[in-house]
Amino acid sequence: MPNALPLEARGLTKRFGSTTAVDDLTFAIEPGRITGFLGPNGAGKTTTLRMLLGLVHPTAGEALVDGEPYRKLAEPARTVGAVLEASSYHPTRSGRNHLRVLATAAGIPQTRVDAVLEQVELSAAARRRVGTYSLGMRQRLSVAAALLGEPRQLVLDEPANGLDPEGIRWLRDFLRSFAAGGGTVFISSHVLAEIAQLADEVVIIHKAKLVAHEPLGALTARTAGGTIVRSPDANRLLEQLAAAGIEATAADNELRAAAPPERVGEVAAAAGIVLHELRGESASLEEVFLELTGGEG
Amino acid sequence: MTRLVRAELLKVWTTRLLLWLGLLILALEVLVIALHVAQDSLGSLAEPRNQRDIVSIAAISALISLILGIVSSAGEFAHGTIGHTFLVAPVRERVAAAKLIAAALAGALLALAACAFAWGFGALLLASRSVPVHLASWSALRIVPGTVLAAAITGALGIGLGSILRRQTAAIVIALIWLLVGEPLLGIGNVQRYGPGHAVASVVEAGAQSSDLLAFWAGLAVALVYAAAFAATGAALVKGSDVT
Repeated sequence: MPNALPLEARGLTKRFGSTTAVDDLTFAIEPGRITGFLGPNGAGKTTTLRMLLGLVHPTAGEALVDGEPYRKLAEPARTVGAVLEASSYHPTRSGRNHLRVLATAAGIPQTRVDAVLEQVELSAAARRRVGTYSLGMRQRLSVAAALLGEPRQLVLDEPANGLDPEGIRWLRDFLRSFAAGGGTVFISSHVLAEIAQLADEVVIIHKAKLVAHEPLGALTARTAGGTIVRSPDANRLLEQLAAAGIEATAADNELRAAAPPERVGEVAAAAGIVLHELRGESASLEEVFLELTGGEG
Repeated sequence: MTRLVRAELLKVWTTRLLLWLGLLILALEVLVIALHVAQDSLGSLAEPRNQRDIVSIAAISALISLILGIVSSAGEFAHGTIGHTFLVAPVRERVAAAKLIAAALAGALLALAACAFAWGFGALLLASRSVPVHLASWSALRIVPGTVLAAAITGALGIGLGSILRRQTAAIVIALIWLLVGEPLLGIGNVQRYGPGHAVASVVEAGAQSSDLLAFWAGLAVALVYAAAFAATGAALVKGSDVT
């Protein structure tokens, strides 16, 4: 199905006993973009991704990759590369041998093994036992495994978990270049900031249900909150802000103003008020969920 | 299918599982053969029947092959590598079939190496005591194809058992309890010859069986039924399960 969407969930539902992990989820991921999959821990992200990848059987609904259930794919490793959350490895097998096993099973030439090790900058440690790897090295190995079949799409489950800042930067740059080359990326996270710097759009779930599927811009507009400002002349600043039509309230030693930092700074400067602190206040992901779910979350 | 079997063989090779289990067999063979040749009387060592019994320690490879099968199936669940396996090969029945074939091949290979070493080492030690060596007779050599066939079957049995229990240690301990306690208890009802351990033993003997075992073909059929039943149950359970 050449025109099918890369990833699609239709009424996707999973119950484990009496717990509903994923509830009637319907969304489709556009090709050639980075889509963030956001939700707090336990929202059902991992279960959803594992249903897309054929590892968990849906109770109801369909999970489709290129228009087909994962297990119907002729060459899954060449279609979608997956980075599972906290991937586990055989501790006495080397990273290179792990990839050799996967390449053999997928019918991918062994030359790809060294190529992907190079690509994720893991060549130096390739022949060491995985048991000796750091968490960051394991994540790179996961990414290498996902790239073996040169897939057009990548599915990543919380890939930044446990990565050091350098590793996170590396991953972000890598995914950007992958998408720039026409690849599709579906990446889950419970940290808004990770996704905000990366994604074109976001799918947000909360308590097993879809709460939003929108462009990143719409999400950032929701999260763009007010400004926190500290001044030795707080009372006069409060008056000036009120005069400029900006709502502001005093709390502890600071003021919280319902306007972007640029506006607040301009008002203070025009009145010649000294500021000790001026920072934008963005809503947390949890607050976004609260807003999206009407406070019932 | 071939590529899945090759991947499974690469798995047992790259964890050095095959190597360690092979070394275990060699160590047991050295121990048993050396003790016999050093301590038995020259008269008894010269008996073809006794020489055959000494090298038949190679049949321990059928038990080791069972462990190999258990570890290569249950181990994937224990180490969490089964997710990677199913991502590359999402049709789980095919993975199960590949594992069966690979374990049977690896088991047969272990058995062949075990026999080659037992015969060579046995002949060497017997000759060193100036005893005429009768290991090349058919009555002794028939254990070789018997052991290779038995180890191939137990490898497959191990895959089935490992996929049913999906816990390495539990599966190995349960298998040993069955062989050491469960099957002897069947003796009370005089049906132990139909137990999996006895059925496999009758395959090893390849026609030279004692009266407490089934005949070769009957034993082979019973052993294959056990292997098939375990494999089918294990594959069905794994197919229906979620990899979380």
